[in-house]
Amino acid sequence: MKTFYNKQIAIKFIATCALFMAISGTISSVIAAETIKVTVNGMVCAFCAQGIEKRLTALPSTQTVFVDLKQRIVAVQVKEGQKMDSKVISHEITEAGYDVVKMESSSKTVDEIKAEFKSQKARK
Amino acid sequence: MTISKWPIAMAIWAWMALAQAGPMGFKDSTMVMGDFGANWRESFANYALTPRDALGGGVTWMRSDDKLRTRQFTEATYTRLVKRWNGEHSQANVWFVGGMGAVTGNDFAGSKTMLSPGLALDYETTRVYTSASVRLYRASGINHDFASARAGFSFYEVDYDEVQPWLVLEVRRMRGLSDSTEITPMLRLIHNRYFVEFGVNQAKQGRFNFMYIF
Repeated sequence: MKTFYNKQIAIKFIATCALFMAISGTISSVIAAETIKVTVNGMVCAFCAQGIEKRLTALPSTQTVFVDLKQRIVAVQVKEGQKMDSKVISHEITEAGYDVVKMESSSKTVDEIKAEFKSQKARK
Repeated sequence: MTISKWPIAMAIWAWMALAQAGPMGFKDSTMVMGDFGANWRESFANYALTPRDALGGGVTWMRSDDKLRTRQFTEATYTRLVKRWNGEHSQANVWFVGGMGAVTGNDFAGSKTMLSPGLALDYETTRVYTSASVRLYRASGINHDFASARAGFSFYEVDYDEVQPWLVLEVRRMRGLSDSTEITPMLRLIHNRYFVEFGVNQAKQGRFNFMYIF
């Protein structure tokens, strides 16, 4: 009987550990996914603003780029394990012909930011 | 419009199409443009050396309304973004576009050197577009000034990767070239990868423009 209880405790312990590892793994990957959100002035046309997307996408540390004309936001998700100098992003946007107003770091992925904007638009 | 006016008119059409979305792309980009109609076909390309300067060239084939005379205008161009204002939800620009080339035709011998300096102003938001431009076309025996204005609106706002439709009205007049003011309503479709326009003027002449940036 005692052996049976010990086995149950051992199984619960292993299961708890596995769950903890899974949760902590998920959390750490979210934190690692750094995205730089830039507020840009002058983005009024998708055809014109494509220069921003192309220039930023060409950077070696870029995972993906998202542009929202209405919110004036350019979001650059950095590749996992890599860093990106915000000055480089600012330079690329300026070279594309636009003005950088604000830059901020976010732990959200580009997909999450995109979904957030979509839900904001849907609410309006 | 007399036959001698056609080279100018065609080049202006091409240039005006460029002015809608800026006559050059971003730094290190190559922009190509095509403008096609029954009486003229034009292709143009330039390369942006800096965020403000681009060099390019273009060839325009044109034909008179009666289909009797044709001309070809080959030019090298320099485009300069003189000034840009980036607002929260707007942008305004002052552009200089200068061209130099040769015009040949079946109604005169040889070719003529043509200079075509011009200025354009534009202001746009995500929903409204306006522009005005003047350009001089000067060659031996040819002196034509041109002025135009455009205004338009988009039907609705879209996401960056969606197609946005616009309605644009162009009004233009050429001194010494035409006694009438030409009015052309156009449907413009903008995507982040391309820019196209379809229109028909009051003389029922169709028009198709496209732009693409590499």
